[in-house]
Amino acid sequence: MALDFELSEEQKLLKKTARDVIKQFEPKRDELREKVMKRKEFPQEVWDALAQAGFFGSFLPPEYGGTGMGLLAMAFAVEEMSALGFGNALIILTTMDALCILKNGTEELKKRFLPKIADGTYKFCFAVTEADAGTNTCRIKTRAEKKNGYYVINGSKTFITGADVADYMLLVTRTISYKEVVEKGLPKAYGLSLFIVDTKSKGITLHALPTRGIEGMNQFTVFFDNVEVPAENLVGDENAGSMALFKALNPERILAAASAVGLSEYCLNIAVNYAQERKVFRDTPIGQYQAIQHPLAEVKIHQEAVRLLTYKAAWAYDKELPPVEVGAYTNMAKYLGAELAIMAVDKAIETLGGNGFSEDYGLAHLWEVVRLLRTAPISKEMILNYISEHVLGLPRSY
Amino acid sequence: MKILVTVKRVPDPDMKVRVNAEGTGIVEDNMKFVINPFDEIAVEEGLRIKEKKGEGEVVIVAIGPSVVQEQIRAALAMGADRGIHVDVDSYPDPLNTAKLLKAVAEKEAPNIVIMGKQAVDDDYGQAGQMLAAMLGWAQATFAYKVEIADDNSKATVTREVDGGLETIEIDLPAVVTADLRLNEPRYASLPGIMKAKTKPMDVFKPADLGVELSPVLELVRMEEPPPRKGGIIVETVDELLDKLRNEAKVI
Ligand SMILES: Cc1cc2nc3c(=O)[nH]c(=O)nc-3n(C[C@H](O)[C@H](O)[C@H](O)COP(=O)(O)OP(=O)(O)OC[C@H]3O[C@@H](n4cnc5c(N)ncnc54)[C@H](O)[C@@H]3O)c2cc1C
Repeated sequence: MALDFELSEEQKLLKKTARDVIKQFEPKRDELREKVMKRKEFPQEVWDALAQAGFFGSFLPPEYGGTGMGLLAMAFAVEEMSALGFGNALIILTTMDALCILKNGTEELKKRFLPKIADGTYKFCFAVTEADAGTNTCRIKTRAEKKNGYYVINGSKTFITGADVADYMLLVTRTISYKEVVEKGLPKAYGLSLFIVDTKSKGITLHALPTRGIEGMNQFTVFFDNVEVPAENLVGDENAGSMALFKALNPERILAAASAVGLSEYCLNIAVNYAQERKVFRDTPIGQYQAIQHPLAEVKIHQEAVRLLTYKAAWAYDKELPPVEVGAYTNMAKYLGAELAIMAVDKAIETLGGNGFSEDYGLAHLWEVVRLLRTAPISKEMILNYISEHVLGLPRSY
Repeated sequence: MKILVTVKRVPDPDMKVRVNAEGTGIVEDNMKFVINPFDEIAVEEGLRIKEKKGEGEVVIVAIGPSVVQEQIRAALAMGADRGIHVDVDSYPDPLNTAKLLKAVAEKEAPNIVIMGKQAVDDDYGQAGQMLAAMLGWAQATFAYKVEIADDNSKATVTREVDGGLETIEIDLPAVVTADLRLNEPRYASLPGIMKAKTKPMDVFKPADLGVELSPVLELVRMEEPPPRKGGIIVETVDELLDKLRNEAKVI
C-alpha cells in the first residue's frame, strides 16, 4: 500500500520557499514586467534569489553542491513561480543541461560545471534545432571533428533561446554525418555527440530572430565557424549521444508541464477574483453565472489531472524507471499541460471580457506563451506519435 | 545566549477564511497553514540575535496537535536549533497557552523569550503579557527594535506605541513580543530545509510539564463579518459632516 499523495514536510517547505522567494518581487512586478517584456532584459535579480535559496542545487547531489531533492523539487519550484506569474525559460534549460551532465558527463566535467550551476553562477542554453532538422534530430548537419585535443565545430543552429545570456550551451552535433550513417546502414541516430560549448567562444555569432512565445527572451540562429571546443567537453561517448540526448529531453518537458500547471493557477486566480467583483446586470457578480463558473471549474479539474501526471513523471525520472515509462508519463504530462495552459488563458480571457486583452490584467501576453507550449519543446503530433508507437505498440507512422 | 521563540500554526493569511456551516470554526479543507507571521518575525529576530552574538541557541516551542510540528520544522529550516512540541488536541486560550509556556520557560531557562505580538487567527494578543506576568519577568511588547547588552543582562527595546516609538531598557530574562516592522523574516533555504530534518524535536504532554489545562474561554459561535456595503459619493462637505455626525456617529 505504498501509493501516497501526501507531500513530505520538506516538499511543503520547499514549495513555501519558492513562493516566498518569488513573492518578494511582487511589489516590483510592474517594473520587472517592463524590464523583461518590453526591454527584454534578463531578470538577474530573480535568478540570484532562486540561486541563493538553493534551487539550482535542488536536483543535484550534495557532492556537487546540491541538496539531492530531485527533479520533483525543481518541478515544484517552477510550478509555484508560474502560479505567481513569473516564467523563466533559462531555469528549465539550465536544469535539463545540468541533469544531462550529471547522468552522462565525466567526473571531471561534473566537478567543473555542476557546483557552479548549483550556486547560480552558470546559465545554460540548449541547441539541437536546425533549419533543415526540426523534429527529426537525426538529420542535423552541424559537424564536430576531432583535431589535436579539440573538436572543431561548423554549422548552425536555430531557435536557440537565451543564447545571448547563457554562459554555456549544451550543443548537439554530428561526429559522423547522416549521409555516412545511412550509407553504412548504421542506426540513424548513431553519430550524434553532445558538447558543452562556451557561448563566448571564437567563431560563434548570434543572429536574433523575430520570434515570440517565450517571455522576455530572444531566440537566435547561432553560427559556428571553426569553433574549437576542448575534447574533454564531450558529454557522454562520442557518436553515442542519442540516448543521453533523448533522456535529457525529459526534464525539459516535465518542467514545461509544471509551468503549465502553475500558469493555469495564475489565470484562475485572476479570473476568479475578477468574476467575484465584476457586476454587469443588476447586483449579480458575473461569477454567479454558470456560463462563467463552469469553464473555470473545468480548468481546475484539468489542472489537478496535469499536476498529478507531472509529479508522476518527475517521480518516475527521479526513480530512474525504464526509459519508455519515464518517456510516457513525461510526454503525457507535457501534452496535457499545453492543452491545460491554452484552455486556462482562453477561459480567463473569456471571464475578463475586454479587460482580458488589456496589458494591465496580465493575461493577453500569455496567449503566445501557452500556444508555444503545444509546439515546443516538442510538438503535440510527435507526442501522439510517441504514445502510439511506444505505449500502444502501433507501427511507426513516419 | 539561549533564545526561546514561540510559533503558532495559523491559516495562511493570504487565503480566504470561511466559517463552517455549524459556526464552530473555520473550514479547514484545502486551507494552507503557516507560521503566524508575527511569530516568523520573532524567529528571525532570535536568529539575528544569535548571529550577532556569534553564539547561542534558538529553541522553538509550539503548542497544538501533532500537525504543529510542520511549523516547528519550518522554523528549524530557517535556522533555529531545536524544537519543543507541546502536544495538546486543540489550541488553548491565551491563559492556558501562557501556563504551558511558563512551564517550558522554567525548564529551558532562556535569556529571552520572543513571541509574536498576536496570532493572526484569533488576534487575542495576550499570551506574551500573561507569560511575563506569570514568570515575574520584564516585558517589552510590540517590539520595533531589540538590542541585547554585551553581558546579556539587559535589553534595549524600541516599541511601537500609539503615536510613535518608545524606547525602554529591561532586565533579562524577559518576554519580548514582535511587531510587524521589527525585521523581514528570511525564507528557509533548501539546504536549511534538508538540515532541519535531523534537528532534534522534543514532545511533551501538559502533564509532563506539570500543567493541568483549565479552559477559561468558551467559543460560543463563529460567524462571518457582514459583507461590506457599497460606498456613496457625497456632494458637499456639509453633507459629509452631517453623515459622519448623524449616521456613522463618529464625530
Ligand atoms: C520560441 C521558441 C523557442 C525555441 N527554443 C529552442 C531552443 O532553445 N533550442 C532548440 O534547440 N530549439 C528551440 N526551439 C525549436 C523547437 O524545439 C522546434 O520548433 C520544435 O521542436 C518543432 O520543430 P520545427 O519547428 O522544425 O517543426 P517541424 O519539424 O518542421 O514540424 C512542423 C510540423 O509538422 C509536424 N510533424 C513533423 N513530423 C511529423 C510526423 N512524423 N507526424 C506528424 N506530424 C509531424 C510537427 O509536429 C509540426 O506541427 C524553439 C522554438 C520556438 C518557437
